[in-house]
Amino acid sequence: MRKFIAIVAAEFARALVVITKKGSGSALPGVFAQAVDPKIIGKLAKMIKGGVIIVTGTNGKTTTAKMLASILESAGHRVIYNFSGSNLSRGIASFLIQKTNFWGTKIDGDIGIFEVDEATMPEILSMVQPKYILVTNIFRDQLDRYGEVDKTAALIGSALAMAKDTTILLNGDDPLVASLSLYNGKVQYFGVNDNYHTLSKGAIDSRNCISCGHELTFSPRYYGHLGNYKCENCGLARPALTYSLTNMSFSVESSKAAFVAPNMKTDLSISLPGLYNLYNALAATSVAAHYGVPETTITTALAKLSAAFGRMEKIKIGEKNIYLMLVKNPTGFTQTIETLTFDNNKKNILIALNDNFADGTDISWIWDAEIEIINNYYSNFTVSGIRGDDMLLRLKYADFDTTKITKELDLKKAMASALGKLADGETLYVLPTYTAMLEIRRDLANQGLVKGFLE
Amino acid sequence: MARKITIYHLYPNNMNLYGDLGNIIALEKRCQWRGIETEIVNVHVGDNVDFSKADFLFMGGGQDTGQRIVVADLQLKGQAIREQIQGGLPALLICGGFQLFGHYFKTANRTEIKGISVFDAYTVAGNKRLIGNVVTDITHNLAEWKTEYGTDVTEHGITTLTGFENHSGQTHLNPGLLPFGYIIEGYGNDANKQYEGARYKNAYGTYLHGSLLPKNPHLTDHFIMAAIARRYGVKEALSPLDDTIELEAHQASTTRAKTAKTVSL
Repeated sequence: MRKFIAIVAAEFARALVVITKKGSGSALPGVFAQAVDPKIIGKLAKMIKGGVIIVTGTNGKTTTAKMLASILESAGHRVIYNFSGSNLSRGIASFLIQKTNFWGTKIDGDIGIFEVDEATMPEILSMVQPKYILVTNIFRDQLDRYGEVDKTAALIGSALAMAKDTTILLNGDDPLVASLSLYNGKVQYFGVNDNYHTLSKGAIDSRNCISCGHELTFSPRYYGHLGNYKCENCGLARPALTYSLTNMSFSVESSKAAFVAPNMKTDLSISLPGLYNLYNALAATSVAAHYGVPETTITTALAKLSAAFGRMEKIKIGEKNIYLMLVKNPTGFTQTIETLTFDNNKKNILIALNDNFADGTDISWIWDAEIEIINNYYSNFTVSGIRGDDMLLRLKYADFDTTKITKELDLKKAMASALGKLADGETLYVLPTYTAMLEIRRDLANQGLVKGFLE
Repeated sequence: MARKITIYHLYPNNMNLYGDLGNIIALEKRCQWRGIETEIVNVHVGDNVDFSKADFLFMGGGQDTGQRIVVADLQLKGQAIREQIQGGLPALLICGGFQLFGHYFKTANRTEIKGISVFDAYTVAGNKRLIGNVVTDITHNLAEWKTEYGTDVTEHGITTLTGFENHSGQTHLNPGLLPFGYIIEGYGNDANKQYEGARYKNAYGTYLHGSLLPKNPHLTDHFIMAAIARRYGVKEALSPLDDTIELEAHQASTTRAKTAKTVSL
């Protein structure tokens, strides 16, 4: 009965959102439903017959969840997942209610993929026993929200400790993620075996041994603190990988690698650039391989996949292109801009830095991002957003010629001016923080160039 | 005449939480643009270093594991650091660095982490995190710098510092210890919206990151000038730079401190 009232409350909230046209409608129904029935997520999740797959970690959650969803859909499953970044518990409650019939007796899917915010993991695990948990990586993120990476690891760890019959897949290349096996020993690891060399100079988080504090040795280091690591002092090393990628190759807009698992060896190809996207593909493919999805189904699904909302989205505007690449933290930022160096063409670049709550109100991370690596790879450069002044300052101290950079804090004007400088056939690479990305998409939607938020 | 300053960066691997590297970059660049040579000495746990060779000392903030790793090592270096600061070594200590340069940090579970007592101050864990953009008034320092170095770093017309605070520790200054700045916007040392940071001789402690030095060029230049004065025994004005972009970022951060909601979790 409580479940029913909770659903009614949520539907009421959704109607309210639609009538008043306030917000995207993704959180409020969940807030109402949880107020009536705090256990609503657990009750609804139980109705998903094929079980729940949880994806968590700092970077790559949305893209990994989307990849996995399209693989499982290609394999004939009815998959429901909480796209568009609504990964706090109220968002998850909203999405489940949306997929449930009015009487709360049937849910529209046989597999659920939940993208879950790291800090929300303990709450979700107290209600849901998932079939799989996938941890992508742990980097410093919006420090004003959670504080620190160690706390993030402890939060995820305490959730893993509650997982009883769950297959846990951890990124073995991330020493902090691999250390989560201390909370639950029943884990398998995925990672990379390749001689990939990053332009980025160093790791900013977790470069010391979890066990003894000594500085870790990487051979090689792929990016951030991800790599084949070893502690020369206490002997702690990267665990044996069950699922791995080798023979990686990259272009500015795509990537390839060979996937190796106990039951499969196959080539993967994705239309997304950068090692971090191959990590997402690796994570998704590892679950799919364990689940028994045939290799051709996996490779076909990945090959035709388009990017997750705003993550790596190519939008055509007449004869010109916009390539949206969401940025939210220093390691992700450095990785994203590194993809622009995969060929020698000079790029048109726009960075939009906002500091609203959803972006993280602390922008000091731009000083940890290695913007220096694209100094020789641009023809036009525009900075915009609420903290565009700080971004321009960052570029000045990275020895960019600031007389060649346009500062236009108004995002709409900045986009128009940057697009105006493109020749036909050229691409504008746009790196927005989260709310800047929403703003750009809203404008493009108003012009009818992309689908709206409530697609 | 060629000048060179040596910057000692304490524990860059463990204490680098909030864009602390930006402070080092700002010092390096503003020296480089004026033909002043810089050398960065990264001081790690276990390193045996001679602090008398330092012209500037920097330590940033760290997370709990980072702090645990450095605490014991910092004690070993404490005496040498105190001697140099007593002798006028310019230093900037941010967040965790500021706390560990006080007497102690009493954590939420009542354990006391010992500091090196450069500042006559102590820190106690608070029950909320103080987070947001900050503006402080540092007029009292500017006046003193002018008296001491005969140079006017107020030429830019700014008498404020701006940055971002994020701390749960609340720092209390004992009587006689001056704050670094007086709060205009933000929480400050102890959530009372009054004092921010501390100053002892040429050592400045603060909770402001953001990064601090790039958008507060008057402070950066003061440190460079003080470092040169101490090394070479001459008080000389630095050649002026075009700081338009720095001052616009300073202004943007100041404006944001007034408009954005601060959070305490």
